[in-house]
Amino acid sequence: MEMIFNIVVFPGILYVLLWTVGLFWFFRKYMAALHKRVGPSFNGPAGSYQTLFDLSKLLTKESITPDGVNPHLFSLMPILAVIIAILPTALVPWTANTTVVASEYGLLGLVVLIGVEPFLLFLTGFGSNNKYSFLGGIRVLTQMISMETSFFLAALSPALLFGTLSLGSIVEQSSWLSFLILLPGFALYFVALLGLLDQPPFNIPDAEQEIVYGFYTEYSGTNYFLLKLAEFAEFMAVFAGAATLFLGGYKGAFFDGFSFLFAKMLLVAMFMMTIRAATPRITMKQMLSFSWTYLVPLSLLNVAWIMFAKIFLLGALS
Amino acid sequence: MQKIKTLLENFNVLYIEDYKKTWVKTKLSSADDLLEVAKALKENGLRTIATVSPTDFIAENVIEMNYFFEDLTTNRNCWLKCDVPRELDECRIESLTPLFKGAEWHEREAFSMFGVKFLNHPDLRPIIVSQDFYDKTPFRKDFDWDAHDANTVENMQKIVDSFKDEEDENDKGIDANSSETVLNWGPTHPASGPIRLKVHCDGEDVIGVDPDIGFVWRALEHLVTKKDFIGAIVAVERLCFMDNINSMTGYAQAVEEIAGVEITEFAKWMRVLLGEVSRISSHAMGMAGFYNALGLHTVFMWNMDVREYFLDFLESYSGARIATAAVEPGGVRYGLQQNMLDELQLALDKFDATKGSIKEIFINNPTMKTRASKQGFISANDVEDYSLCGVVARASGVKIDVRIDEPYAAYSQIKMDYVTQKDGSAKDRLVNLFEELEQSIEIIKQAKKRIEEKIASGEFDPTKDHMVKVPKKLPKGEAISRVEWSRGEVLMHLVTEEKGTSPYRLKMKAPSFNHTMMLDKLLAGQTLSDIPLVFGSLYICQGDLDR
Repeated sequence: MEMIFNIVVFPGILYVLLWTVGLFWFFRKYMAALHKRVGPSFNGPAGSYQTLFDLSKLLTKESITPDGVNPHLFSLMPILAVIIAILPTALVPWTANTTVVASEYGLLGLVVLIGVEPFLLFLTGFGSNNKYSFLGGIRVLTQMISMETSFFLAALSPALLFGTLSLGSIVEQSSWLSFLILLPGFALYFVALLGLLDQPPFNIPDAEQEIVYGFYTEYSGTNYFLLKLAEFAEFMAVFAGAATLFLGGYKGAFFDGFSFLFAKMLLVAMFMMTIRAATPRITMKQMLSFSWTYLVPLSLLNVAWIMFAKIFLLGALS
Repeated sequence: MQKIKTLLENFNVLYIEDYKKTWVKTKLSSADDLLEVAKALKENGLRTIATVSPTDFIAENVIEMNYFFEDLTTNRNCWLKCDVPRELDECRIESLTPLFKGAEWHEREAFSMFGVKFLNHPDLRPIIVSQDFYDKTPFRKDFDWDAHDANTVENMQKIVDSFKDEEDENDKGIDANSSETVLNWGPTHPASGPIRLKVHCDGEDVIGVDPDIGFVWRALEHLVTKKDFIGAIVAVERLCFMDNINSMTGYAQAVEEIAGVEITEFAKWMRVLLGEVSRISSHAMGMAGFYNALGLHTVFMWNMDVREYFLDFLESYSGARIATAAVEPGGVRYGLQQNMLDELQLALDKFDATKGSIKEIFINNPTMKTRASKQGFISANDVEDYSLCGVVARASGVKIDVRIDEPYAAYSQIKMDYVTQKDGSAKDRLVNLFEELEQSIEIIKQAKKRIEEKIASGEFDPTKDHMVKVPKKLPKGEAISRVEWSRGEVLMHLVTEEKGTSPYRLKMKAPSFNHTMMLDKLLAGQTLSDIPLVFGSLYICQGDLDR
């Protein structure tokens, strides 16, 4: 019974849907404020139904499968993408005692599931029989390879510090001191996150001014809805990862709870959107050289810093 | 000037005369001399050709070719004419493209519209017109538009067939095992607007770009000949809606010159005032277009926020925000009232309040600089060779600005200087755009102050002085008129007939045409990511590209 509740309601499908609708609306409203616009305002309180209508419209529209593609593969990819993107929610400790899979190796699972996602997006582009999609697919792959190295190294820094891969005990052991020690790791995680989620300035794979909509180009209707759902579920996994690993997860002032975790996730989202509103896109070449000449070496340095801090700062205290 | 005249006297010419302050007008007795004369002019420093404009004189059975040579550094210009026979088989003339690279597309246009064949032209394909106009001469006086329009279905079929042929043609000549391909950038691309760039690319690397233009061809130059002299302004202002006032000013000046009418001082100042407001509205969109091409829409929204106030002023003046039709031969259409100037003051205040943050966040943007300061280099030499103008030329350090070089309206009484940058990169063009915005604000402040003073002292009567009468029928004549449009120099060449009630021929040389010509040169060897950046930085509008 509890299993079914977990899958269908929390932290499963309904929760992800609600998050998608809510975050979509929040992004629109927040972006509108930065743009000096109003944003959606007509349907529902503060336009909040607008996203719901948009998504339900997408669901009911015809999904067009282009000529010359394998139709099964073409439609399977979005479904796989959604499933893989939702899975990490099972590993996240939402509160002190709601972790669906309280594994010893939770961090490893989280990182791997997040890291698999770009492969699926690459395959959607590869299987679309479209020049723009193909270029988009190749761009996803290139970006993934260069960004995930530092993403993994940054995400593993709390594990090194606390000596555990369990997300639950990482949150339990976190403190103000560990937050400060992990700050460089968080910065690296955040930069790599922008690359991993195709957010400006790294929105290269779906650069609409260059290659129309990258790997999304041929997708429409339900399939497009599923891909968007996967994207927002991926946001959730990555933001929850950031909050859990670096910002103390559900821990808060005065009392602990899910609301603190949620607020931290929104904070990361707002930071991401602010960068989005002020930074133009960079090119593939710039991204590659930035990643391999700065980001990866810094991530390795960060590992050294964590080891130093663990031995001399935390070790000296205990 | 004298030097050009003595030089021209060596050739067999019908007449040599001074025209305005900066032009020498001449006509060759034989078209065979054209190449020699052009060569001599080029050696004398007239390195730029503004446009090639044929006029079809059906009664005399000739096509008169007009060439406009310019020297950007010393501001000496030459207007050269010669006749070619009208019969299609004999309607040919030597091409100037080997000497003046900027003539290439202008000659293609003359070929598509008038059927003039240019000998030794490197690439004489039709341009602008759609496939159903190939091998036809739509701008000749005897072209039967009704007969052409009657075959709509066949015409459409021709276009469709040619697209299909092209699809088959694309992959021919490309090695099937290589990664080389032809990618369409436009006309239904998110960033392109109605233009198609056929991009030959190898993966992410661009091999060459072949622009296909004409998707918004409205045949404006033909349309004006069907309207009276006042009615023609609505066709002229549709050169590009973003800056409509200055193009109308250019046309109105040409008409006034032929009619021999001098407009009032007040109308001249109003043309400056309205023109600069219109320039601001266009430049704001230009900056937005640059950043939209980089995937950042915040500038667009922020600039729209400011631009609305300037459109409010245009609306209070003319009743329309975009297509104002506010300038017409004889002056400006409406009188001025105090509440309009109050609207303008609001706009000026709004600009001053927001320019600091826009400059700090977007003009000094480090991410933009890392990309744009290394891309799209145009040297001062290129500017002369390819006849570039406006923001693009000034960003490369070339000091040209018609408002200063050949002052019109009340610009001679305005204090202003050339706004230039040094390197001519894409970033420099953006910076130049912003600095010109600031310059326009300064000009508006000067003009507004002057108008308010003169109204207060009673010299101007804002309700009556705005218009003088221009006769409905004009004498036979021709005139050229240059204005500094927001994208650069617009040259209007107007020809009228005796007792004509509508223009016989109006050639509008618009800047985007030359700027688009540069795309292949700027993009070959770059990557796909650079296409929107370079395209956006050239400040191209499809309206004046296709006309």
